[in-house]
Amino acid sequence: MTLTIATSIDDVLAAMANGARPIAGGTDLVVGARQGKVTMPTDLVAIDRVTELATVSKDGDSIRIGAGVTHAQLLTNDVVVNELTSVADAAALVGSPATRNVGTIGGNVMNGSPAMDTGAPLMVLGASAELQTSSGSREVTLADLWTGPSQTSANTDELCTALVIPQPAPSSGSAYIRLEYRRAMEIAVVGAAAALTLDGDSISSVRVALTAVAPTIIEVDGLDSLVGAPANDETFEAIAAAAREQARPISDLRASDRYRRHTIGVMARRAAHAASVRASGQIVPVPVNRAFGVGENPENIR
Amino acid sequence: MKTFVRADGPDKVTGSGRYVADLTLTGMLHAKFLYAGVAHGRISRLDVDKARAMPGVLAVMTADDVPDLRYSPVIPDRTLFATDVVRFEGEIIAAVAATTPEIASAALAAIELDITELPVVNDIEAALADDAPLVHEHWESYDVTGDTIRDRNVATFSAIEKGDVDAALAGAAHVVTGRYEADASHATPIEPRGIVAQWEGDKVTIWTSTQVPYDARDGVCETLGLPSNRVRIIVPHLGGGFGGKCGFHFEAHIAALARATKRPVKLVFSREEEFLAPDRRREGMIVDITTGLSADGDIVARKAWVGIDNGAYVADAAFFPQLAAMHIGGPYKIPAVKIDAQLIYTNRQPSGSVRAPTAPQACWAVETHTDELAAAVGLDPVEFRRRNLVRTGDEGIVGQVYDEIGLDQCLDLAVSAMGLPDLPADEAIGVAIGWWPSFAAPTGAYAKMHGDGTVQVITGAQECGTGAVMTLRDIAADELGVGVEDVQLVYQDTGAAPVGPGATGSQTLLNHGRAVESATQQIAEQLRELAADELEAAASDIVLGDGVASVAGTPTVSVPIADLAATAAGGDLLLGSASAPMPDWPSVSARCVGDQEMASWLAPQFSCHVVRVQLDADTGVARVLDVQTAHDSGTILNPIGATGQIEGGVMMGIGQALSEITHYDEAGKQKNPGLLEYKLQTIADAPTISTQFVEIYTPNAGPRGSKGLAEAPNVATAAAISNALAKLTGGPIRQLPMTPERVWEHIEAQSTGNSAEVPA
Ligand SMILES: Cc1cc2nc3c(=O)[nH]c(=O)nc-3n(C[C@H](O)[C@H](O)[C@H](O)COP(=O)(O)OP(=O)(O)OC[C@H]3O[C@@H](n4cnc5c(N)ncnc54)[C@H](O)[C@@H]3O)c2cc1C
Repeated sequence: MTLTIATSIDDVLAAMANGARPIAGGTDLVVGARQGKVTMPTDLVAIDRVTELATVSKDGDSIRIGAGVTHAQLLTNDVVVNELTSVADAAALVGSPATRNVGTIGGNVMNGSPAMDTGAPLMVLGASAELQTSSGSREVTLADLWTGPSQTSANTDELCTALVIPQPAPSSGSAYIRLEYRRAMEIAVVGAAAALTLDGDSISSVRVALTAVAPTIIEVDGLDSLVGAPANDETFEAIAAAAREQARPISDLRASDRYRRHTIGVMARRAAHAASVRASGQIVPVPVNRAFGVGENPENIR
Repeated sequence: MKTFVRADGPDKVTGSGRYVADLTLTGMLHAKFLYAGVAHGRISRLDVDKARAMPGVLAVMTADDVPDLRYSPVIPDRTLFATDVVRFEGEIIAAVAATTPEIASAALAAIELDITELPVVNDIEAALADDAPLVHEHWESYDVTGDTIRDRNVATFSAIEKGDVDAALAGAAHVVTGRYEADASHATPIEPRGIVAQWEGDKVTIWTSTQVPYDARDGVCETLGLPSNRVRIIVPHLGGGFGGKCGFHFEAHIAALARATKRPVKLVFSREEEFLAPDRRREGMIVDITTGLSADGDIVARKAWVGIDNGAYVADAAFFPQLAAMHIGGPYKIPAVKIDAQLIYTNRQPSGSVRAPTAPQACWAVETHTDELAAAVGLDPVEFRRRNLVRTGDEGIVGQVYDEIGLDQCLDLAVSAMGLPDLPADEAIGVAIGWWPSFAAPTGAYAKMHGDGTVQVITGAQECGTGAVMTLRDIAADELGVGVEDVQLVYQDTGAAPVGPGATGSQTLLNHGRAVESATQQIAEQLRELAADELEAAASDIVLGDGVASVAGTPTVSVPIADLAATAAGGDLLLGSASAPMPDWPSVSARCVGDQEMASWLAPQFSCHVVRVQLDADTGVARVLDVQTAHDSGTILNPIGATGQIEGGVMMGIGQALSEITHYDEAGKQKNPGLLEYKLQTIADAPTISTQFVEIYTPNAGPRGSKGLAEAPNVATAAAISNALAKLTGGPIRQLPMTPERVWEHIEAQSTGNSAEVPA
């Protein structure tokens, strides 16, 4: 077994070209290996000291979140909190302070779990993954990246260097909310993200993606018909209905398919509502789960 | 008495404290167990030769390598290793000791084991069917003690009978019937257990994470055929227990491996093993209750049946039916009762004493039922309880007449502390009352005062997280008139301390406290004699306090206690040793069938929990916002410790109410033996919790008029939450835990008129 501690992207790519697997926070990889869910790769390259990977920057019309940015950093980054708010909603829910301090957005995305929290927000914001090898780089949309539970279309020598997100239009807002049975150390039972742009009181664009109701994060189709519709309860209910219809939930320990199908609608409705409030310029505190969840005053967002 | 910082606190908080898993001895081997992996089956082949031959493997043991005997209190149905039939998935087939944990795992894989599966008894009611497979084919051959009634898969049966229930029910103005079903849950201490055993000559020292060092010692002696003086149990810091580390099971396996290999051997459980293997799981329960009421709301009769999922072996659970029956009767005045309770064998992990065994589930059932009773007669639930609960001098369900008790005050205090806030539509308040006995057991203590006036107290008490042991210093300091910081404890070592129950049954202060009180009083007596000589006064006039012995009423005439200790060091040493005097048990008049000595309650403790709950009706997710508790545990010696104990009990109760459930598959195996899918509550979920104590000096109980307190806070919380949720959802949710999905299905069923039954 080898462990290479890399300090530059080039180091990482060299190690990966030789078959090493990247490890960022290790909160999926090491925990999974200990539990026997995955086998620990023999050769690892640690990427957590590669500072090039740990920045959020604006680059022309897009925002780049380095793959090595931790959930804790996402939460304190002004660009993320103000412009990609749903990503902050998601980061705030991950595990515990310890998990957030070491777990990265790149690890979350590349781990490919259908229950990952940053996935649905990134999808509704139109993010693509920037994948790099020693011989070049490419961008893949998230829909193309995630091919199944814990499966991605990335090649084993491809490092995810960043998530690239188009700069949201003015009067846009996004929100992510998940169903959780407790307030820390939880995993999404189901979750939904919405990104919405308003033109006055009506919707000029809307995207919704769903967590933990299919083998991958999925985007809700057919919402184009809502363009021009008012941002009101009826519209949010139409979004909920579409989410319920397109969800393909399973029954497992956490919930039955029936309960998941019902609650995905609730989450989609609340996410769309919160996104519209944010798009209108009002503040819904991060994470939406606390504002919309049980135990806090829903007045927060009205 | 003053409240002080726990002596073990800094060690634990800073990480310098040592737990069993931290111990390393020279030449130490690592142990691992091979488990059955199936819930019911017959071993058709077991061949350990290949494993034994592996380099680095120093021992592989099976039932053939230990004395052939069955053990366990009351019903000896247990063996160290599976012999022929395996009865639950965590049954130990073989134990390996190897030079590394990896080699030990490889050796497990090399053991050849075939098990022919047998039909699985996976359900309380199925176990009672006439044609149900027997979990213990030869149940009649076991060498049972006491008034123990058994029949096939019914491991024990108890009943409480008083008056003519059928006649009273026939004459009742209202009769209310309900069924309540609670799933199994776990103690879930954060430290998975660890054991290290080392032999020196014919003596073995075992470092183990047990709550009950003397039970562990006795178990090793019994199963390995050793005299009591050759086994020493030492517990380093213990990382929680909650009852899950009571009883005895694994210490003997490790001692046997260490003896066979002539090396120290260490076992540390994985989290999964901690879920699957111990003989301690909180029992699932089905309760049917029928209660008759008079027109104006007096309970006139109660008839009930309780079925308890015992799992594969009885462990310490023989008394569960009688204790559950006491809780199903509850702290109420009921003239006619007939409560039948069965402990039922299934092919699941054995149940055993987890904090307040049987109480949270039974209290949840009966207090949910109580709100239904109040509704039936149109009374407010609090008013209904006031009418029916036991007060000082009243006779309870078994005919025990209670001395001075404060249940009515608990109810009043907790209810008025919550007040009558304006509640939004998605919030409600629920109330429940509960009770719990105090247990007395033979317990000793030694004490010595050194020549410099400092004190050592040697106690068999075991610290399991409650901090109660730390309060023993306070008692000693108070008796001897020295500062708490001058008292050191020697504890958690059977080689040093006299016998005591350890951390089980809320007994630390009650029993160890009385022993320490008596032992230190002997030294105090000696000090008074010495001071009397020195100060030319009568010994009975000497007062000990603030480090000096002085003459009562004349504090200036005094001598430092350290000076007296120095004098004593030159001759008659200051030593105390005592066995705590046993209290008298109260008498009962009801007929107790299958009596396991759980009907007469010494110094009963009472509580009332009032909760404010918010419900997200769209998802069924409930959140507890505020909890007001009031407890009668007699005199409170350490208010900070006592309050913390209640806060922990409430959090455990919230978990049982809303999220903690052990799921089983069709084959009788646990589906969620891990902390991601077994949902404990976290600190982020904690509500505001406020506590008031009804402090009644209770004679014939613990030191200074105290009663127990460790388990009482874990009785009424889930019940109170149930009553709040019933108000928010249109009726009681008859399954525990009341998970979001169950709550949502319940709401759905109310709106569609169908009954809700969510599979586990
Ligand atoms: C206690 C606990 C709680 C958790 N709670 C949550 C939660 O609430 N929500 C949630 O979504 N997740 C949760 N997780 C999962 C995990 O923390 C997150 O998915 C985290 O973002 C993973 O990041 P990491 O840096 O630790 O990934 P790692 O474990 O280091 O890597 C995960 C996978 O991605 C690969 N990888 C990592 N970085 C790259 C890269 N730049 N390019 C290519 N491949 C890469 C690795 O090879 C590995 O296969 C939790 C985990 C734990 C242990």
